[in-house]
Amino acid sequence: MARRSGYFLRETALALRRNALVTFAAISTVFISLFLLGGALLVERQVRLMTGEWASKVEVSVFLRDDASPEEVEALGRRISEIPEVEEVQFEDRAEAYANFRELFRDNPALVENVDPEAMPQSYRIKLVAPEEFPVIRARLAGDPAIDQIRDEQALLKKLLAVTRVLRTGVIAVAAIMLIAAMGLIGNTVRMAVFARRKEIAIMKLVGATNWFIRVPFLMEGMVEGMIGGVAAVLAIFAMKFLFIDPLRGQIAFVPSWIDTPEILVTVPILIGAGILIAAVASLLAMRRFLEV
Amino acid sequence: MIKTEHVTKVYKDTVVALEDVSIEVQKSEFVFVVGPSGSGKSTFIRLLLREEEPSRGKIFVAGKNIANLSAWKIPYLRRNIGTVFQDFKLLPDKTVFENVGFALEVIGKPRHVIDRRVPEILELVGLGGKLNNYPEELSGGEQQRVSVARAFVNRPLILLADEPTGNLDPTTSVEIMKLLDRINRTGTTVIMATHDNAIVDAMRRRVIELDEGKVVRDQARGVYGYGA
Repeated sequence: MARRSGYFLRETALALRRNALVTFAAISTVFISLFLLGGALLVERQVRLMTGEWASKVEVSVFLRDDASPEEVEALGRRISEIPEVEEVQFEDRAEAYANFRELFRDNPALVENVDPEAMPQSYRIKLVAPEEFPVIRARLAGDPAIDQIRDEQALLKKLLAVTRVLRTGVIAVAAIMLIAAMGLIGNTVRMAVFARRKEIAIMKLVGATNWFIRVPFLMEGMVEGMIGGVAAVLAIFAMKFLFIDPLRGQIAFVPSWIDTPEILVTVPILIGAGILIAAVASLLAMRRFLEV
Repeated sequence: MIKTEHVTKVYKDTVVALEDVSIEVQKSEFVFVVGPSGSGKSTFIRLLLREEEPSRGKIFVAGKNIANLSAWKIPYLRRNIGTVFQDFKLLPDKTVFENVGFALEVIGKPRHVIDRRVPEILELVGLGGKLNNYPEELSGGEQQRVSVARAFVNRPLILLADEPTGNLDPTTSVEIMKLLDRINRTGTTVIMATHDNAIVDAMRRRVIELDEGKVVRDQARGVYGYGA
């Protein structure tokens, strides 16, 4: 095989140079589609990261009236812990609430200074057996004299999840359409390469070259295009990380952790593999149509 | 070496290119296939190369029926058959050496075999000094010698020539015929389709004449002339 790989490499390089423009179009389409695919995968991972973090935290906050008596507060605590849907309940006093507040707005010292620790509300922080039980809790606790407000802390997350799900589906759909276009373009470069080499192909058939020997350079041409597109998509995703994600890290209070290099590295084999695979399929399909051997 | 049994080739169910052709060619024979344009000569060559399948009948090459050869075996059949055409079919961007070497390269012969055999065969056809020339720098006769060298470099059992002198002047044609004769004397079976009567008459070899797809004459040491 070593003696043949020289031939295959030469032929592949020549073919890529010969149809520079069409090759460029094919590679950039592969690039865009894989970049979108990679983006969708990473958004998905980011959302999963955030969901995991938030889900492990408080799901329902029961804020208490400022004028609630200690007895009322204690009675409410007992009521809450007796509800079967509640997995865990914790009391947060004013000092703890102030500490959390300062932590959440540490980038905004002016705001923190203007808030009096005594103005922070006391609350019960509840973790539910299942997050969707919120309406049950609300109904059970309705009318309790100590309660100022009951808040579903997961409501925002649920909305965010719904939005990202739609976004992700849309991006993947666009990526899929682009991938089909990319396959067409790769097929076209293969067709042009076959056309440019029709004389060689005729002679190769005549002197008894096997079908695979004739096909391999075209297959490799397509696969190299797919691979370049995949590598470019990976590089672009890393560029996005440095340009957009890294500066945002720690800047947005409700997104405490961001995807980082390990998450992106996971997508590398997926994107490059997908690029090579669709290119191989596209080349083989094109050869079935344009290269009768 | 080659045997056809009742071979018929019909195109599109109506055009009969060959009809009931049964012939046998022995090893190291030299056979002319003659006849006017459209008589079926080229179809006969294409069937032997398995570029097409016969509509009916059997074709044996080296003892094997190739009429229903599976597709992946066709390349191996062709490695036993050298071919020369009227239009030379050389690659213009490859040198003489590369053109001949290409035939070995694409069937997977190692470099050292190519480097040894190509100069040898080019010496044999009288082009030992033009290894690095490009086809456009050669005369028609020289180009056809390159094409003969390419057909013969893998030492095939059979050499098929389809109008090899069709583009050449009479003197050059004689040179090519001497070359084919030399190759034939090494034991290679040569089948040559032609309508060059001067050559057929001069060589006095077996002549198979086709007319409208039928064998109308099969004569040892024949001449071209119709009905002669």
